[in-house]
Amino acid sequence: MNHSLLRLAIVCSTIAIPALGQDLVAVKAKTIHTITGPSVQDGVILLQNGRIKTIAKASEVEIPWSAKVIDASDKIVMPTWVVAHSNGGMRGSNESMQNVPWLTVADAIDPASTFFEEMLRNGVGTIHVLPGNNTLLAGSGMVVRPYGRTVEDMTVAANTGMKMSLLASSGSRLQKIREMRRAIAEVREYLANYQREKAEFEKEQEAGAIPKDKKWEKEIDRKKQAAVDLIEKKLKGWLYVPSFAELDEALRMGKDLDLNLVLGPNLDEANALLTKLKAPVVLDLPLEYFETDPDTREEKQYCSAKMLADAGVPFALSLSGSGPTSHPWWLFGTCVRNGISRQQALEALTMVPAKMLGLEDQVGSLEVGKLGNLQILTGDPLQATTWVDTVVLEGAVVYERSEDPRLQYLFDAAKKATEPQAPKADNQKGEAK
Amino acid sequence: MTRLLRTTFATLLLAAAASAQETVTAYTNATLMPGGKPAISNATMVVSGGKVLAIGGADLKVPEGAKVVDCGGKTITPGLIDASFRSASNQQDLNEQSEEVTPHLRILDNLDPKSPLFERARNHGVTTVHVMPGTRNVIGGLGCVIKTHGDDPKSMVIKEDASLRIVMGAEPSMSNRAIRGGRVNSIYYRRPTTRMGVIWTVRRAFYDAQEQLTKTQGAPDGAPASPGLEVLTQVLQGKLTAVTTARSEQDLRTALRIAEEFGYETVIDEAQDAYMVADELAAKRAVVMLGAPSAESVSGSAGSDGASPRSGTVAVLAAKGIRFVITTGTNRAALPLIREAMFAHRFGLGPQQALDAITIEPAKLLGLDDRIGSLAAGKDADFVIWSHDPLDPAAVAESVHINGKSVSQIR
Repeated sequence: MNHSLLRLAIVCSTIAIPALGQDLVAVKAKTIHTITGPSVQDGVILLQNGRIKTIAKASEVEIPWSAKVIDASDKIVMPTWVVAHSNGGMRGSNESMQNVPWLTVADAIDPASTFFEEMLRNGVGTIHVLPGNNTLLAGSGMVVRPYGRTVEDMTVAANTGMKMSLLASSGSRLQKIREMRRAIAEVREYLANYQREKAEFEKEQEAGAIPKDKKWEKEIDRKKQAAVDLIEKKLKGWLYVPSFAELDEALRMGKDLDLNLVLGPNLDEANALLTKLKAPVVLDLPLEYFETDPDTREEKQYCSAKMLADAGVPFALSLSGSGPTSHPWWLFGTCVRNGISRQQALEALTMVPAKMLGLEDQVGSLEVGKLGNLQILTGDPLQATTWVDTVVLEGAVVYERSEDPRLQYLFDAAKKATEPQAPKADNQKGEAK
Repeated sequence: MTRLLRTTFATLLLAAAASAQETVTAYTNATLMPGGKPAISNATMVVSGGKVLAIGGADLKVPEGAKVVDCGGKTITPGLIDASFRSASNQQDLNEQSEEVTPHLRILDNLDPKSPLFERARNHGVTTVHVMPGTRNVIGGLGCVIKTHGDDPKSMVIKEDASLRIVMGAEPSMSNRAIRGGRVNSIYYRRPTTRMGVIWTVRRAFYDAQEQLTKTQGAPDGAPASPGLEVLTQVLQGKLTAVTTARSEQDLRTALRIAEEFGYETVIDEAQDAYMVADELAAKRAVVMLGAPSAESVSGSAGSDGASPRSGTVAVLAAKGIRFVITTGTNRAALPLIREAMFAHRFGLGPQQALDAITIEPAKLLGLDDRIGSLAAGKDADFVIWSHDPLDPAAVAESVHINGKSVSQIR
């Protein structure tokens, strides 16, 4: 596909696919956590054509008779989580060549991956999938929802930016930084040459050496187009910064490019630099890590989220595909344990990533006009025992816990084993035995 | 110079703490989860000389002259017990490669009391750990039980020879190759090379031990056993707990079968596929050790040795009445043991049951429930004061006490 066409697709993008949902859906909730505004007790959310039409107290709104009603009047309703940076759900996320800006994750996303299933089960509605961290200029990412049979079904926005990484998987950090500079310099040189040739062509045309009706036909090399877009700031870069040591270079690169930073955990030695970060960043996992003093062998625990909060930098959280850090409640708990407010923790998987993706008027909170992406929780989003009961994406129910076959497989079996046996048919009076 | 000063200061502090131990301290106004019993609200716990003197509700009288610590509604639990703790950051340090049957090796000889791992565990409320040799040998050696604070292994150890590690499955044969000429200085040139070979190696070792027992029966001055055989005969006589690592369904069944064949009882460690053999485990009354429930997904992931661990396993074990203990297992990231209880709670255990699985249940498994694992008169004063309910992900272990002494104050 032509790149300019793709770019057009992002602009008018947001949701080019037909709405999933029924025309009118009403969700009754005990509590609605809107994230951006105050919570609503005993509320109703009306969704029309996949978007939020009304959020109000139940007493103040009349539910139309034609609406499909989802009764969560003893539960909590929240926006679905937004993940701003993920390498999950792909078959092979790291190209072995180092400089491959022309690649796109659209060719690697596997809709049948259990990653998306697990994400949906944990209440995620929007995921920005990008190539892995091992590649210098790794290719373009895309925003998907964890639901659909094909990549096209899942697509929310394509060509959302170029993944770049300073992670030195082999060789030294300095070498990696040098390679990155050279890769970018090569693109600049290519672009300068291209523009010079074009200018010469136009000059000669003006001078009459080339016929007036002849058009400039040379296109930008398709393998270079995405990198050129990056240089011209038409495409965002998502730069993985593995540790404090590369942060300085990342800040320098940010002066020439339109970058979003994805920060690795080891940040304590860059504490002074953190305040220089202007835009929100994505935090890679783990959030907590240890550093040992080489002299005393004393260990100190650090929390990267707390360091950013203290530096006044907004941050988005990453969610892994499995293990404890795939559970948002655990990550929020980790934040609160380290002294971050509940609200800031919740925003790190809602509004902050939505803004980073340029989707803040679509997802990340429950507000009139935004997409009808919401999750129904059995309890407080910061409690270990809270489960996602239902996920609604664009007005359509896409996940129900009661119909999750994998959950049923063991959990229902366990429940059955402990439930008292129903009286047999021949003991209809229910007499005690 | 600074360091010298610091050391002197630390010594002074220690001396002060030692004399403080003789005093009586009463922790009042706490929510006490004593381990094995329901929680007591507005509770008081009296501690002296490193032991618990009494626990009770608000009506418990504080002894005269006791130092009173008002807990302000915070939660006290017993110090947590990790029944499968990795003491070394280096795999090589846990696995002797010269032989595959090494029952006489003791993990005690490998302990570094200053290892930061102990401090990490301690900061997360773990006061006692059971350390075993690694899982790369067929019969790995003797495990020991130690507290997580002390200056040398000796002062920390509370049970020297606590268990014998036996390993089923493919791990002890992983990458092994038979010697067929060429270089022979590789650690991989050893046997067994298959699952069958692993089981045969176990069987042969126990067969030898059985024979040894027959030989020496009634004749105490018979031929002296080799140190390894002696350990194995102790298992056969029920004097030493066997801990068999068996992850997949196949290995779990084999572990039970071998134990039955030689007539010993075994704890099953890292029983990832336990949900598939729940009925057999219940019938054999086997105790199961489950590593890191937090790492397991609903859909099941590829575990080691061909197992398919699932988050619902704890719920199935509890429903079938199988006794189990939650550990950090092989998962290095799982050092905060309380998190593992939290996930078990999420996956179907009641709060008390979840906490018991990391306190009183491991104490029973290690045969130390008369000292640790619960808070009651006469037991070791190993306890943790949490900011609030420890099963809340935002809770912090504010102070950790071993033998009545505060050993960490974090953050």
